[in-house]
Amino acid sequence: MSAPAHKPPLSEVIAPGHTLTSVSEKITKIVLTRATPRGWYIGFGIAFLLVMVLLVSITKLLVSGIGVWGVNVPVGWGLAIINFVWWIGIGHAGTLISAILLLFRQQWRTSINRFAEAMTLFAVACAGIFPLLHVGRPWLAYWLVPYPNTMSLWPQFRSPLLWDVFAVSTYATVSALFWYVGLIPDLAALRDRAKSKPWKILYGIGAMGWRGAARHWERYETAYLLLAGLATPLVISVHTVVSLDFAVSVIPGWHATIFPPYFVAGAIYSGFAMVLTLAIPLRKIYGLQDFITLHHLQNMAKIVLATGMIVVYGYTMEAFFAWYSANPYEQAMLANRAFGYYGWTYWCLLGCNALTPQFLWFKKVRSNVVALFVIALIVNVGMWLERFVIVVTSLSHDYLPSSWDTYTPTKWDWGLYVGTFGLFLALLFLFIRFLPMISIFEMRTLVPSGVAEAAEKDEEHA
Amino acid sequence: MSVPVAVTLARVQRTAFLVSAVGGVLLALGFVLDRQRFFQAYLVAFLFVLAPAVGSLAFVMLHNLTGGAWGFAVRRLLEAATRTLPFVALLFVPIALGVHSLYEWSHAEVVAADPILQHKAAYLNVPFFVARAALYFALWTGLALFLAKLSERYDKKLSLKALRKLKAASGFGLAGYVLTTTFASFDWGMSLEPHWFSTIYGVHFLVGQGLSTLCLSIVMAALLAKHEPFSRWLSPAHFHDLGNLTLAFVMLWAYASLSQFLIIWSGNLPEENVWYLKRTAEGWQALALILVLCHFAAPFVILLVRSSKRNAQVLARLALVLLVMRFLDSYWLLAPAFDEGEFAPHWLDIVAPVTLGALWLGLFVRNLHGRPLVSLQDAKLLGELEVHA
Repeated sequence: MSAPAHKPPLSEVIAPGHTLTSVSEKITKIVLTRATPRGWYIGFGIAFLLVMVLLVSITKLLVSGIGVWGVNVPVGWGLAIINFVWWIGIGHAGTLISAILLLFRQQWRTSINRFAEAMTLFAVACAGIFPLLHVGRPWLAYWLVPYPNTMSLWPQFRSPLLWDVFAVSTYATVSALFWYVGLIPDLAALRDRAKSKPWKILYGIGAMGWRGAARHWERYETAYLLLAGLATPLVISVHTVVSLDFAVSVIPGWHATIFPPYFVAGAIYSGFAMVLTLAIPLRKIYGLQDFITLHHLQNMAKIVLATGMIVVYGYTMEAFFAWYSANPYEQAMLANRAFGYYGWTYWCLLGCNALTPQFLWFKKVRSNVVALFVIALIVNVGMWLERFVIVVTSLSHDYLPSSWDTYTPTKWDWGLYVGTFGLFLALLFLFIRFLPMISIFEMRTLVPSGVAEAAEKDEEHA
Repeated sequence: MSVPVAVTLARVQRTAFLVSAVGGVLLALGFVLDRQRFFQAYLVAFLFVLAPAVGSLAFVMLHNLTGGAWGFAVRRLLEAATRTLPFVALLFVPIALGVHSLYEWSHAEVVAADPILQHKAAYLNVPFFVARAALYFALWTGLALFLAKLSERYDKKLSLKALRKLKAASGFGLAGYVLTTTFASFDWGMSLEPHWFSTIYGVHFLVGQGLSTLCLSIVMAALLAKHEPFSRWLSPAHFHDLGNLTLAFVMLWAYASLSQFLIIWSGNLPEENVWYLKRTAEGWQALALILVLCHFAAPFVILLVRSSKRNAQVLARLALVLLVMRFLDSYWLLAPAFDEGEFAPHWLDIVAPVTLGALWLGLFVRNLHGRPLVSLQDAKLLGELEVHA
């Protein structure tokens, strides 16, 4: 479609010397033949224990009610919405990498898109738990759906909380489809290489009869491109709606018109930080440095820097307008954020989100894997703090001093949050054990064509 | 067989300067007849021509950082546009002189009677206003000339060092551009209604500049497509990329506009909603509807269609319509602030943008002379690779 002159040299997105066979071998081996590393059992064990924490926290909540959380009046939202926004934001990087970078024809997305998409799915699963539980009686959550009933129930269509229901469920559906469609050719590759009968059958069911015929590929390409086109606006819409949950109200610190783009940028920022957090150890443990190269990490670092700067822009606008508005409530909000009861969280947030990414201006830092890992972790913490600052300081301190109160999360709040880490990690461990974490056939397209032809001949002779 | 590019450019330049000369006389007449309306029309027109000049700077820097085939088609054109910035800075002088005719906060007696304006006086006062404008123009012009010099050097000699320097300057430059342009939009646009504020105003302004710039570059690329050196390698794929970018900016514009509207509508606070109440009454609502339809809906649908993005002529016509919409958007944004929000278009409202637009176009085309129209190093690369449409 476009001039090929300005794509990065292929050697940067895949190490030299790879052939079609070596690519397939290296990726399928992790799933099929290599012994499960001991680290996997340890990691999965820890994640499993955390899932138990999640289950206990949910059980306690369902038995005793929302009162076990620290939420009160006026801070009615607390950790539940903070974690919801945090997780859903993390998910956005996966969709961005797989859909938007595909539309922009960025080849470097290829080795990271599969597990980034998986990350999206698992993050959305974790995110969905919070609002579902926060409705109090999750078994009645279907009341949010507009359906004809005899209870005179009809959802409030002017509320972004309802739009959330549609936005997030659509997003989850399309993300799952996108991920699965992308997996089909690889599931077929696994089916063909699996040694034991049960796995052959299981992967075979997943592969839906894929035989790699030209017609299959043609339809596959069309479907994949259409799904990418569908997923792209969803990234924007989901976090826009999330931002509107806050912005349409008239609470100082929430009612700001910059919220939609600022939230979307923040989501992408935290999402890319999470991809880095996951990719750096994964490539090390599974020896995938050939596929997830320094070039990938640097590109992601640049996106973290760019979106971080947009987030800083958002903070600047908030602070400037708190003063410029000449509105006493807005000014009190800013003073309270910076110097009030929760003041330390605001300064930590600025340190994590505004200061830390500035190191990424330097190429030395961008090409230092350890530094990138540390920065990515700090950004993840910072983005959680950002939601904490927005939710808690504004709610605890609104117009009427008589209704001010503080909020302290209880152990059940934390239990639920830590538990979702367990769920996320457990799903991730299962994913890398049973499915190819890098798209095999897309990686094969990166093998230089001369090498590919030679290798194909070898395969024929073999 | 075809007309040499210099002839086409000279013709455009001549016509542009001729139009601006006639318009200049009319503007002078307007200044004498109705000073108030003159300054009002001038401000809207100034922001209209500022957009492609500063917006080009942003796209040049963005392209230095990201690369991409779209930029090689138009980047020398964009650079020529950025080199008009010293003249655009001169065009600001009448606004600095007419500050009392435009900005309510510049009157000491108004401020004395208004506690909110007293609070804002630390920011909204004439010396600081002028100093800020000087700072913005110093930064923009400095960046533009510096980047143009670097790319000229790069044309002469393929050097990685120059390329690295371009990238570094562009990274910091882009951050500086976003911040200064945001505050420029507050100073020149938002402060016309000094009580009102919206945190997304700067984003909306930036997106508008981006869209104006893209439209201008599409029109210019379509104009030059038949001539050497563009005819050799400008392909439908380049227009396709530019069309996609335009689609993205059309959507971003709608996104920023709708975000602001939805949030203010939902909050329904008197200090904010007055802005929309003014702009949806007295005839302004017709303009608002035109913007919804012709600044978003129609271009959105047209740009979704692949064939219309690959056809230079269709795309260029759409870009021209969008440029008109860009002006109408500025007009709808700014003009209701004047004279109690009365909807009363004046002949100066048309003469001013046409005159300044023509003057700017003439300067821009003049800047195209004397320098290669495409990046020589990139053209060399492309020549070896042969572009696939």
